Amino acid sequence: MSDYMIEFVNVTKRYGDIVANEHITLQIKRGELMTLLGPSGCGKTTALRCLTGHNHPDEGRIFIDGQDVTDLPTYKRNLGMVFQNFALFPHMTAFENVEFPLRIRGLSQSERREKVVEALKLVRLEGYGSHFPRQLSGGQQQRIGLARALVYRPSVLLLDEPLSNLDAKLREEMRFEIKDLQVRLGITAVYVTHDQEEALALSDRVAIMNKGRIEQVGTPEEIYERPGSQFVADFIGLSNFLEGTVTAVEGETTYLAVDNLSLGLATTAGARVGQRVLAFVRPNEVELAAPGTMSGPEVLEGVVEKMTYLGDKVDYRLRLGDRLMLRVQSGGTVRFKAGERVAVRLPMERCRVIGGGKA
Amino acid sequence: MNSFWHKQREGLITLVLLSPGLAGFFGLFFYPMLLTVILSFRPEGREVGWTLAHYARFLGDPAFRDVLGLTFSLAVGATVFSVLLSLPLALVLREKPKGNRLFRLSILLPMMMPHLISALGLLLFWSKRGWANLFLLTVLPFLKEPVAVNYTIPGLILFYVWLFYPYTCLTTLASLEALDRSIEEAAEVAGANRLRVLWHIVLPLIRPGVLAGSVLTFMMAFGAFSVPLVTGGNYRPLSVQIFTQATLYLEWSAASAMAVVMAMAQVTFLTIYMRVLRRPIA
Amino acid sequence: MMCAMTLVRQYARSVLSAKTLLVYSFLLGFLLYMVTPFLIIFFNSFGKGWYGMRWLPQEWTLNWYQWAIEVADIPEIMKNTLVIAGIAVVISTLIALPTGWALGRRHIPGKELLTALILLPRMIPAITFALGVAKIFYGLHLVDTFLGVALAHVALAAPYAILVLSATFESLDERVLEASAVCGASPAQGFFYVILPLILPGILSSIIFTFTTSYNEFTMTLMTYGPHTVTLPVRTYLAVGEGYWEVSSAMAVILIIPSLFILFLIQRQLQPEKLVGGFKGV
Ligand SMILES: Nc1ncnc2c1ncn2[C@@H]1O[C@H](COP(=O)(O)OP(=O)(O)OP(=O)(O)O)[C@@H](O)[C@H]1O
Ligand SMILES: [Mg+2]
Repeated sequence: MSDYMIEFVNVTKRYGDIVANEHITLQIKRGELMTLLGPSGCGKTTALRCLTGHNHPDEGRIFIDGQDVTDLPTYKRNLGMVFQNFALFPHMTAFENVEFPLRIRGLSQSERREKVVEALKLVRLEGYGSHFPRQLSGGQQQRIGLARALVYRPSVLLLDEPLSNLDAKLREEMRFEIKDLQVRLGITAVYVTHDQEEALALSDRVAIMNKGRIEQVGTPEEIYERPGSQFVADFIGLSNFLEGTVTAVEGETTYLAVDNLSLGLATTAGARVGQRVLAFVRPNEVELAAPGTMSGPEVLEGVVEKMTYLGDKVDYRLRLGDRLMLRVQSGGTVRFKAGERVAVRLPMERCRVIGGGKA
Repeated sequence: MNSFWHKQREGLITLVLLSPGLAGFFGLFFYPMLLTVILSFRPEGREVGWTLAHYARFLGDPAFRDVLGLTFSLAVGATVFSVLLSLPLALVLREKPKGNRLFRLSILLPMMMPHLISALGLLLFWSKRGWANLFLLTVLPFLKEPVAVNYTIPGLILFYVWLFYPYTCLTTLASLEALDRSIEEAAEVAGANRLRVLWHIVLPLIRPGVLAGSVLTFMMAFGAFSVPLVTGGNYRPLSVQIFTQATLYLEWSAASAMAVVMAMAQVTFLTIYMRVLRRPIA
Repeated sequence: MMCAMTLVRQYARSVLSAKTLLVYSFLLGFLLYMVTPFLIIFFNSFGKGWYGMRWLPQEWTLNWYQWAIEVADIPEIMKNTLVIAGIAVVISTLIALPTGWALGRRHIPGKELLTALILLPRMIPAITFALGVAKIFYGLHLVDTFLGVALAHVALAAPYAILVLSATFESLDERVLEASAVCGASPAQGFFYVILPLILPGILSSIIFTFTTSYNEFTMTLMTYGPHTVTLPVRTYLAVGEGYWEVSSAMAVILIIPSLFILFLIQRQLQPEKLVGGFKGV
């Protein structure tokens, strides 16, 4: 009936005056891992709770597998969920925790046994069935949570910051484990996090949220390479923003006046003189050289204000012209010291215009 | 050497500071209790000699055994109905409905008001010509006669529940509010409807709290004095019997024997309560 | 399809509102169940010729209060009650200040057990040791004296005062005192400007609760009072026994005032769960 496993159609949710979700429209394909990514308080959990049915949207509809579930109670939605604080049942053993959804579904004891054992094997905790949650480490608890969410093969797996209560090393390990499971089972998953690295590593597609709205939806690469707004460019990775006015368009090159500097960019469709434009470039895409060794419209000159040695790379803060600050990271050894003059090349193909900038 | 004396002095200061409290405890509780124990072994009205007659009579005589039976039935009845009232009430109040503070405050009424006054109010309210019967006669057309509540055993249990359910209700509410909501949400997502979440998750998790509260309610009902004194009529639970035995029949030794049994029972319940309270969940 | 959708939605909404309705009627019923006994006392104390079977009295009167004052001699009884409560508060506080300090701030081996022991008189039915207290007080000619009745009240009031004050003293932060010394305060100044404001609420709440305990006390009073030391609860009890319901109601309204005050204080700050452990109605 529908190509999409999950659809948010124009969903709005308010808490009093706070608009936690504002006109959210999002389609999630079958077997896809979609991440909701955004800063704290942007409404990720709210959106997820609308999906589980713990929140009822004030406006809009939600579909799962083509069925309108907006008014369906949580327990009928056939979802699986992994919680940030694990939310295991403290009075049940790991085995009983995983068994619970099957018991609710009225499976026979032998069936239950078989499926629980299989699920525990899936998360590599075969021997831990008789342990109570408090006897398990955080990582083990979360794997039991995962087993409990998957044992009944729900149509969708939801994960709300499942790794944020784990330490850094475990987090990275679990990240791949979750991805691996999701791919192996071919299950549609919605993953909530505010950790961009996690989001980029795991997701088939990412929805970037800001202040209750969805700013951009795309593959990790699209999000990183072609951010649709300053917010996205800023939130994903490090960015230098260059805001200026188009002074001339000459074929392939568009000239931009940034403060009192002139910078050449690759021409984009529809560029016209007088337009305000916002461009950005990642710190690791900027090339540095000794003054006078490079030339071209995309080359500027500046002074190193601050240099920080980071081991595998060096972080420079440069001043171009009077006011423009530029952050540059380059690999290898220290080549410039604070106070030195440098030539800076902002490669045309890496220096991208965001949505036409502010009009 | 120096530190030894220092320690001695510190200990002495502590003892001096504690002494008023200890004096009060020994003078106003321990010594009276001791005297009661001694008296319970004396022949009636005498200051010498030892006898077990009062205990034998108390535990042997059917009339006195009935007193114990009544006391226990009232306490058990009150406890059971307190749990039945407290569970839905706590579950509803947990959701913080509008007027939540008012409802919570009203739970405290029986604890804060003098029991004597509560007893008077209950008698007036449930009397054959009181509001309760007026209401029942109005809404139940098949009811022709007012219902007799006062001075009956069901009536006493009703009053006891009114007086002592707050102990159960407050502990139940406290353990409900200590529950992590996401645990219930997890169960719901896993496919359990409200009733099943309640049965499989919430009730098992709050059981220790409910149990502790029930023991408290039971203890209070077991020891109740002013309410059965005023509202009991011909039914005299242990506390009232002790009072009557001493002040009406002037059988102090017999009364003392009952008091000793009662105190020991209460200490037993107290010990159970401590155990229940300290037991960890699952 | 669309039509069915809206139908389903409307149905869901109506179920929802039916549920809210159910919840609120339950809560309202509960509230009425809790407050009607007091309401009926109140109306009864002002009603004339109200023999029930009506929702409200037909005529209103202050006669019962007049009766209470003139015939039952309430002013004299009120004086007794207040004097006794005053003595009980002073003795309890004098006992509780040093003992509470020792329990709250000094190292005591087996502190938990000691606290439990001191609280025992509150956890065990008063009637069980009231017998012994009465027996001792007869020997010391303390029965039917203000001091005697007040001392009997101290048996119940002091444990509570000790509990409250030891908690207050325990929560005093040593560093605050050190900070005041660093700021150049003398020990006396430190006491008046730093310690006193910190412990005053605790002392005040201890006084309020001891006062109410004594004011409402019934069991111990019943065993130690005499013609010269009738207190308000005992007089109310006697009036109930005599069958003067309206006068009893008028007395009850007078008797209830301090408890209402406490309830008011509680609703402003305390968490009710805290009361369950230590506080017991009278
Ligand atoms: N139950 C609630 N009542 C009132 N406001 C709420 C409630 N839940 C969330 N909010 C508000 O809604 C907004 C979105 O909250 P939400 O929990 O969805 O954020 P989030 O993106 O999950 O943040 P985080 O990364 O910190 O978990 C926040 O401003 C929050 O304060
Ligand atoms: Mg969140």
